[in-house]
Amino acid sequence: MRETVYDKIFKPKTYTLSNGKEVKQRASRAPFILLIVLFVTVVSGEVTGVDLSMLRTRGHQFIVILTAMFPPNFNFMNNVWGPLFDTIQMSLLGSIAGALLAIPFALLSSSNIIRNRLLNGFFKLFLSILRTLPTLISALIATFIFGLGTMAGTVAIFLFTLSYIGKLMYEHIENVDMGAFEAHESMGLSKVEAFRYAIVPDVLPTYLSVSLYAFEGNIRFAAILGYVGAGGVGLLLDERLGWRDYPSVGMVLLILMLVVFVIERISEYFRMKLT
Amino acid sequence: MNKAVAQQLEKAPNRKVYLSTIAIILTALIIWSFMGVNITGFDQRGTQIATNIFSGLFSPDLEFLFDFTSGGGVPGLLFETIAIAFLGTVFGSFLAIPISFLMSPSIVSRPVAFVTRLVVIFIRTIPSLVYGLMFIRVTGPGPYAGVLTMSLTSIGMISRLYVDVIENLDRGVLEAMTSMGCTTYQKVRYGILPQLFSSFLSVTIYRYDMNLRDATILGLVGAGGIGAPLIFAMRSYRWSEVGSILIGLVVLILAVEIFSNKLRERLVNG
Amino acid sequence: MIEFKDVNKTYPNGVTALKNVNLTIDQGEFVAIIGLSGAGKSTLIRCINRMHEINEGTLTVNDVNVGKLSGKQIRSFRRKIGMIFQSFNLVTRTSVINNVLISSVPELSWWRKLVGLFPKEKKVEALEALDKVGILDKAYNRVDQLSGGQQQRVALARTIAQNPDIILADEPVASLDPVTAKVVMDDFKRINQETNMSILINIHHVELALEYADRVIGIRQGEVVYDGKSEDVSQDVLDQIYGSIDNVPKMDDPEEAEV
Ligand SMILES: Nc1ncnc2c1ncn2[C@@H]1O[C@H](COP(=O)(O)OP(=O)(O)OP(=O)(O)O)[C@@H](O)[C@H]1O
Ligand SMILES: [Mg+2]
Repeated sequence: MRETVYDKIFKPKTYTLSNGKEVKQRASRAPFILLIVLFVTVVSGEVTGVDLSMLRTRGHQFIVILTAMFPPNFNFMNNVWGPLFDTIQMSLLGSIAGALLAIPFALLSSSNIIRNRLLNGFFKLFLSILRTLPTLISALIATFIFGLGTMAGTVAIFLFTLSYIGKLMYEHIENVDMGAFEAHESMGLSKVEAFRYAIVPDVLPTYLSVSLYAFEGNIRFAAILGYVGAGGVGLLLDERLGWRDYPSVGMVLLILMLVVFVIERISEYFRMKLT
Repeated sequence: MNKAVAQQLEKAPNRKVYLSTIAIILTALIIWSFMGVNITGFDQRGTQIATNIFSGLFSPDLEFLFDFTSGGGVPGLLFETIAIAFLGTVFGSFLAIPISFLMSPSIVSRPVAFVTRLVVIFIRTIPSLVYGLMFIRVTGPGPYAGVLTMSLTSIGMISRLYVDVIENLDRGVLEAMTSMGCTTYQKVRYGILPQLFSSFLSVTIYRYDMNLRDATILGLVGAGGIGAPLIFAMRSYRWSEVGSILIGLVVLILAVEIFSNKLRERLVNG
Repeated sequence: MIEFKDVNKTYPNGVTALKNVNLTIDQGEFVAIIGLSGAGKSTLIRCINRMHEINEGTLTVNDVNVGKLSGKQIRSFRRKIGMIFQSFNLVTRTSVINNVLISSVPELSWWRKLVGLFPKEKKVEALEALDKVGILDKAYNRVDQLSGGQQQRVALARTIAQNPDIILADEPVASLDPVTAKVVMDDFKRINQETNMSILINIHHVELALEYADRVIGIRQGEVVYDGKSEDVSQDVLDQIYGSIDNVPKMDDPEEAEV
């Protein structure tokens, strides 16, 4: 048993068996973890000014907007479709482009496919850094570069999808069993052919499933991109919330929910088939 | 060719129709989405801004980046963001515990599980910024509104992951304990809780990672964190300040990701 | 015919895996290669289809000097040699027949490779190969739904469909239970008798080796220490191949240390 600092402070229990052997049981870490969590919670509470009593006294304000959304303004429905389709189109295009470009990136990151540690490391780091950028912030930057509109949103979604799928795929590819690849080479297939028939069938179902999953999530992201001027329903939400036209906001949210729900069910159905 | 082989050849599953239908639908969707997004290259102004952002990244405002006084500099803002994400995750994960039990088909009846799931899906669909605005009415602008928003939005994902944990509980242990004549309390205390504790913790740490990323955007509606200063800096073209914030953000999130992966590895391996 | 002449093989890390190997194996022989772990059995058979390179000596297979081949020649040379592995090495997430069809890939046109389609006559050949090893009914199942023994027979069918002159098998039954192991060994024997393919098997199970093979080659620390009929293998011979108990590789042995 390896002794860690923790074991030095909280001594493990020692049992002596009848044959003289000693067995040590580590002290449980749960109380220690809880203590740390509690401490950090208190500090964070100070920093953010959390005041639970406020929830009691002013909590009803939260409901105020919510109730104002009902009944939704059904006349507003016709204004929703255009931006909604923009949102779907943005996430579809961004997802597909990102998923496609993720393939070369994942291959270049996989140490069992491209045997060059430097290159692998570079692309892995690139994908990690890209992943840290919140979509809304890359959308914001994109609006500065590409101007306001759907193009900026598409770019933001594209970048996120690239990093997300790229990372998951290189992790998968690096764990692929290379046995079949070896067998195919022993049968006289070239490296490219062996890759095509050994690695691709193994990775493809995961790739498709991950791409669908990314697309599902992207629709939800895309819905808020309008906030920074990157097109889609977010634009409407921003506008109507600014005007305090809550029944229209309710309508937008209702349609959004239904559309997201339907798309998720379809995507889930295909993902189930893939595994 | 003998008869058995001929028969087997006949039986080959034919997925051509199925696959080509999907291919056609997919192509149509791609064309449609191309029509919706007006592809604009970037004009001169865009190129100029892109170079500005890059030069900002390479010549960040160092004073701002290393200003450790509370509130003003990048470290202070990042700290506030960390705190928002942390509290949001803690509250969210506590709220997710009862909800996840209500969502598990092996604990409650199927209709109850289904309805709870539906409700959670709908809660999840409302964009976090909308919640942010709603909570600002309660608390006024500031990080507290951010905490409440994070708590609410993380329930959805956390409870879904908790459900997986609950559904995958090792029931063998429970059976073994029943056969030894353990009481229900003993079964829950020694058979279920130890299994749940570390898995739930692992899920929560994973979610913290994502919440940290999400917490950065709450600033857009005035709910605290580093998002607001970033936007101000961009809107007023102070690129070296933008560079400082982006660098701080990337370093922080990378560090937290590495740390949380290590932590979760330790949790899994005991 | 396979001919080793004074073959030496040293790995880049300095381990000498084959020392002065001289062997002649005629077409249609059924040979078992036995020896301790790390003796060089895998190395020996992997040199034959040039999965490994030899350093010294000459290795000729059917009048082809294996060391002289390059690029494309190696690939077309390998088409005539089948290989079976301990861990089956199949593509598990696809169907049985697709695995067998892979043996025909080098002959396909580029667009077929891209789309993943196979011509009908290749499908017939694949099904016939599956029929020969008795798992025709599993043709459209996914490989990961099959048992180990069935998977090894898929691998065997894949090799048969390649229609090779020689089959190299590296511990083909090591992960199978004793009964299934016999079934697979029976398949090898039958193929050997019906088609006159040469079969070289690395095997740890001495009884199986003696029962099925016509000829046994014993290897010890890279050297051939026995080469003769399986009937002539006595306890003395086995002691010579395997040594006494204290010769079993220690933990400081390079191969063991890697694990
Ligand atoms: N790729 C390699 N690189 C370096 N050394 C190797 C390599 N493969 C094998 N060796 C070494 O060559 C020697 C012979 O190995 P080989 O795999 O041929 O043994 P084996 O008889 O097949 O053993 P086993 O029964 O365990 O499969 C061993 O000492 C091993 O450590
Ligand atoms: Mg071996």
